[in-house]
Amino acid sequence: MSDLERPDRETRSSRALDWFSRRINLTEIFSLLTSYGFYYAELDTRKPLREALAEAESRPVGSYGRWPRVLGLFVVVLLWIELLTGALLALYYLPTPDTARASLGTIMRDVDFGWLVHQLHFWGAQMLIAFLILRLVIFFVRRAYRPPRELFWVFGAILLLVCFHLDLSGRALPMTDHAYWSTVRALEIAGSVPIYGSLLLFLLGGAGTVIGELTLIRFYILHVAVLPLLAILMVYLHFSGVRRVGLSEIRGERKVAGRAAVRGHLYNLAIALAVLFGILGTLAVLFPHPFRAAADPYVTLPGVGPPWYLLSVFGFLEWASGALPRQVAGGILFVFFVLFVAWPFIDRGDSKRGRVTAWVIGVLVLLFWVIFSLYGARVA
Amino acid sequence: MTLVHRFFGLIVVVAFLAASVAAADVEACGLCHPEQRVEHEAGIHAAEGVACTDCHRGDGQSRDTDRAHRGQFRALDDRGMVPQSCSECHSNLELMRPYNLPVDQYAVYTTSQHGRRVAAGDLRAAVCTDCHGVHQIRDTEDPRSPTHPRNLASTCGECHSDADLMSDFDLSPEIVAEYSRGVHGLALEGGNQAAPDCTSCHGTHGSAPPGLSDVDKVCGACHQRTRRAFIEGRHHEAMRAAGVPECASCHDQHEVISFEPEAVGVVCAECHSEESEAAQLSEKLYTLIEKAEESLDRAAELVAEGERRALEVEDYKSRIEEGRTYVTEALTLVHTVAVEPVADVTNRAQALGEEVRHELYAKMDTTPARVGLALFWFYVVLTAIVLVNLKKQSAGGSS
Repeated sequence: MSDLERPDRETRSSRALDWFSRRINLTEIFSLLTSYGFYYAELDTRKPLREALAEAESRPVGSYGRWPRVLGLFVVVLLWIELLTGALLALYYLPTPDTARASLGTIMRDVDFGWLVHQLHFWGAQMLIAFLILRLVIFFVRRAYRPPRELFWVFGAILLLVCFHLDLSGRALPMTDHAYWSTVRALEIAGSVPIYGSLLLFLLGGAGTVIGELTLIRFYILHVAVLPLLAILMVYLHFSGVRRVGLSEIRGERKVAGRAAVRGHLYNLAIALAVLFGILGTLAVLFPHPFRAAADPYVTLPGVGPPWYLLSVFGFLEWASGALPRQVAGGILFVFFVLFVAWPFIDRGDSKRGRVTAWVIGVLVLLFWVIFSLYGARVA
Repeated sequence: MTLVHRFFGLIVVVAFLAASVAAADVEACGLCHPEQRVEHEAGIHAAEGVACTDCHRGDGQSRDTDRAHRGQFRALDDRGMVPQSCSECHSNLELMRPYNLPVDQYAVYTTSQHGRRVAAGDLRAAVCTDCHGVHQIRDTEDPRSPTHPRNLASTCGECHSDADLMSDFDLSPEIVAEYSRGVHGLALEGGNQAAPDCTSCHGTHGSAPPGLSDVDKVCGACHQRTRRAFIEGRHHEAMRAAGVPECASCHDQHEVISFEPEAVGVVCAECHSEESEAAQLSEKLYTLIEKAEESLDRAAELVAEGERRALEVEDYKSRIEEGRTYVTEALTLVHTVAVEPVADVTNRAQALGEEVRHELYAKMDTTPARVGLALFWFYVVLTAIVLVNLKKQSAGGSS
């Protein structure tokens, strides 16, 4: 249906738009709101909205509803789902060691659909991290971080690290036995990393191995305020980069311009998101995260390792504990993560030799990830 | 030279003598018998002020061997003299009263198999020191004491596991090993202080094997309800008439077994034929208990599942616990070898399990959630189809 067939609606809505456009900078607001991956072309915020949109639409862009670019959108949508469900959970959650588990029990048992919100929050986080990792792997393989897109990688990598911390701080909140000891393991890992570790443990109250009232409330503040803001900032920075330099290129893709093309991209996106919601809902209903017994700080729960994405780091530290002092092993981790974030500036792989080196490094990192994850799972 | 310097040697000698006089309580026996002295001082006798001469007599203050060993001195190297010499204090009411120790132990000992053999001149039988130690006698409460319940089996085993020695008396050298493998031995080894040791059944100083007709009384001292159930049942009279040991016929003597309900049939088959009424009865009893246990197990599984979903389960847990108590009760009442008393409690246990299951099932019904999920998927697919169509239309319209 083309817009020409509906002159009435067109004029009415455009009249309203124009009325607002004369009074506030709608373009800027639209630009900000769509800065989370729903509109890819750069907008001239000095122009009125309709003019700016028409101009933006005339610039050809690749489809953002196609694989693997859709992963970026999934990440953003999952992040919003986390924010929404998290806000709902915060209505009932009480962040003290004595009340935390009971309040989660109330959410799961007494609040209407509380269990669903809790499970969506949990599974959304797992999917978010999985997609972030997958996205970075694909980014690496496609070498999409070549200039001028180095910052895509940097922001993406920092977002992944922020999401690790979001998940970690969130895991501690229920104060169930599994959550507690899993968090303790993760804090032990963090504590072995120089500078960062001591800073984090200082921030969390210094104890590190006993999660008391202050530690829990600090976890809570990190989880509901500091880290989400950081994550939103990273996503914003990432997309402002996309707007400036454009999506990374996919070989053989024909870029198209025009309103119909934009609408087509959005339809693709909507279909993909519908499926994503379906999968998330299925995980939440059919594989509920169990509500476990209350934590006892004085009884170590056997067989509890750190969360799945930290198993490799845990495995590495356990493996290195025989050979290296803990701070040295932690130092290696620190250097690794710095190099990981700064990778686009290290990779000089435009020559054939450089490309081979990048591949070897990528495969080695993935191999070590898998091996140490398996080792970590066995040790735990 | 000062006065002190001149008489230094003299001062030392005087000081030494003064110290000796001050320490007159400490006997000099240890000068020649240091090992015995060390052992003695680690024991309870030294702690309570019992000195060497209290048993051995002689002159404890003398440093001269002959003078120390004169008078009524006795080496006590004759084992036969030991019980009597211990009894000099331990049968003395005045001496024992502060410790609240019984004074009849020597008399009891003389009635035991050990005491009778020693009295008859057979010095291979145990005297006091064989079990309690010689110089280093410790309180029975002391975990290092050979008579502490956890050490007792090995203490008795020093003689009763000696095959050569036991063959002379026509006794089995296996009983200590058997005991250790049995439920009593394992329970004691596992830290259960209430579990019986050798003396719980055989007596301490008056140790003697219980007579055939007394076995149920000995076992019944602890297993009171079981014994009452047994006496109520048909086995009691019948087994007594047949002259077979009552408890031990099924549960064995030293290697006491507590068999699972499924083993009941096998044990019964030792006396009753497979087609007999008794065999059917055992089958029935087994089924009753098994059904009750199964019902409770399934309820417990469901409770664990409910717990993972944050349901309130404390009440269900206590009801299952109550059911388990009924099952334990049933295992006691099995000794009546009758269906009614057993069925009475197993039915209650089974009912409790079923009740918990029914109530939890109603609370944990996931059907609404699954129906919701199916509906959700229906809308997801519907949305996708609509979107695909819209996209096609939009593409068709623009081209």
